[in-house]
Amino acid sequence: MAETKVTTRPRPASRGRRRAIARRAGASTARGSELWTAALFIAPALALYILLMLIPFLNSVYFSLTDWNGATLAKNFVGLANYAEMLQDPQLYEAFRNNLVWIVIGTVVPVSVGLLLAMIMWSTPRFALVFRTLFFLPYLLPIVVVGLVWNWIYHPLYGVLNSFLELIGFDYLTRGWLADGDTALYAVLGAAIWSAFGFVTVLLFAGLQGVNTDVVDAAAIDGANWLQRARYVVIPAIAPVLTLVTSITLIGGFAVIDFIIVMTNGGPGNRTSVLGFYAYNQAFQRNSVGYGTAVSILITVLSLVAAVVFIKLREGGRERG
Amino acid sequence: MASVGAPAEHTRMFSPLHRRMAATGSRYAILVLFGVITLYPFILVVSTGLRDPVSINVNPFALFENIRLATISDAWTLGGFGGYFKNTLLITVPTVAGTIVLSTMAGYALARIQFPGRNLIFFTFMLGLMIPFTSIMIPLFYELIDLGLFGSVWAVILPGIAGSAGFGVPLGIFLMRAFFQDLPNELAEAARVDGATEFQVFRKVMLPLAAPGIAVLGVLVFFQSWNQFLMPLLYLPGEENRPLSTGLYIFASGRVQDFELIAAGSVIMILPVIVIFLIFQRTFVKGVTAGALKG
Repeated sequence: MAETKVTTRPRPASRGRRRAIARRAGASTARGSELWTAALFIAPALALYILLMLIPFLNSVYFSLTDWNGATLAKNFVGLANYAEMLQDPQLYEAFRNNLVWIVIGTVVPVSVGLLLAMIMWSTPRFALVFRTLFFLPYLLPIVVVGLVWNWIYHPLYGVLNSFLELIGFDYLTRGWLADGDTALYAVLGAAIWSAFGFVTVLLFAGLQGVNTDVVDAAAIDGANWLQRARYVVIPAIAPVLTLVTSITLIGGFAVIDFIIVMTNGGPGNRTSVLGFYAYNQAFQRNSVGYGTAVSILITVLSLVAAVVFIKLREGGRERG
Repeated sequence: MASVGAPAEHTRMFSPLHRRMAATGSRYAILVLFGVITLYPFILVVSTGLRDPVSINVNPFALFENIRLATISDAWTLGGFGGYFKNTLLITVPTVAGTIVLSTMAGYALARIQFPGRNLIFFTFMLGLMIPFTSIMIPLFYELIDLGLFGSVWAVILPGIAGSAGFGVPLGIFLMRAFFQDLPNELAEAARVDGATEFQVFRKVMLPLAAPGIAVLGVLVFFQSWNQFLMPLLYLPGEENRPLSTGLYIFASGRVQDFELIAAGSVIMILPVIVIFLIFQRTFVKGVTAGALKG
């Protein structure tokens, strides 16, 4: 290491002289050693990050402007043709619609459930930590396992969902949940929500720890009921965390692929195809690398726009409120 | 934690006892309901993974009809999950180690050394937290082929460390920089005055103090690397380097009726994460909340 030659610097005797030297003569060498250290410390992480994050990211912009099929040497530049094609692609529209459903339900349900559970745990602290541990468990599960287990829950013959419906007398509702085009998307969403709500709960519960209980007490003394205290005191106090959790869920919703691959592979038909899955499908299964990459750029833009718009709306709402 | 009880305590003075009890009761009812919804899939996997395959044809998902530990060992040997387990370790250990080493060094430099362009470099790394894997998965596929890494464990390890799949140095630098910024300056100054080099200050003074932060980062990267699915699916197509996630996926697609082996494979995959979670629970929760909330 380069430091070894710096250690041979003579060590001055008295404390006062040491400081003086550090200030005067040592200043430039110490500064040089600092810069060297900084460069050496950052270089490996930065090199890897540039090579495997930034270059692929820039390449995705480049690929999206070509008609590359992944096999030929030459990548023909086609300008914005891929983006123009997207405007007239019914399968893309279907994926987009499914993705919107996914984002709306997949954000609203976990955030509302998480908020409800976090506030209950916060106001009835007995066993709160036990429940926190419990609710957090699904988040630790690999999506492959979540998908497999929910496949079984939705199993047309043996699944617990159909058994439960029969038990309570709703036999006519039973079906193969993932094979039925009308329910498949919602069934996959159910599994995704199950695996995410605990994460949301834990984050909101952590946010609630910073809320000043005196204010809540004061509201209670003033006669505010549980719902009013939640609506006017607690939720505004955790608004930043709530915004953050919601934007994490939103961004994740635009990029979702794994649940779809594991549970339905886009089917039946394209009924569970979402944008990420469509990009994956075009690039890796149909060799339309250029087009698939253009779809992935669309996802990036949409998710960033959604996150920014949401945060702006929240800030605007807070200023007015 | 006790102060959290304050609002509930006060309500007692203003509402009749039975109303309060009913309210508390309904709150616990909601918690228990969601607790059951949370636990059922776990119970289903464990129960099915411990079943005797002979009994599986009647109702494969009846809970704990019988218990046969040998089903787990069947999955380990006959199902090939032992090999997948080894491959998962071979991917996860270097990913965790690499992320920790690189993020700690870079996070330290970005937090405690003044140099031109420091903020620019930091924000460049933070950009990585906003780029979803979907945005880079296609070009990365061809880049890994060009680099000659495709199909080897490095095709998952190196992008993992780089942050392609959401964990890795962008997250690590973010956490470790924040951690190092919070450490007091006096100790480092004292060491410098005593003639320690920058590297010695880092190695002997700051690094030991950063141990709790490193633990948080470690568990965070461990479980995400262990569970990752898309990178192995896309970049490790061969059988020989296949980890548990894609191993389980491919096994389950090919042998749909072998419910007990699929479940046993799932148990093999989730057990290490659950055990580590239960041991390091506080660190875990801190990591997940810090990773998200500070952003």
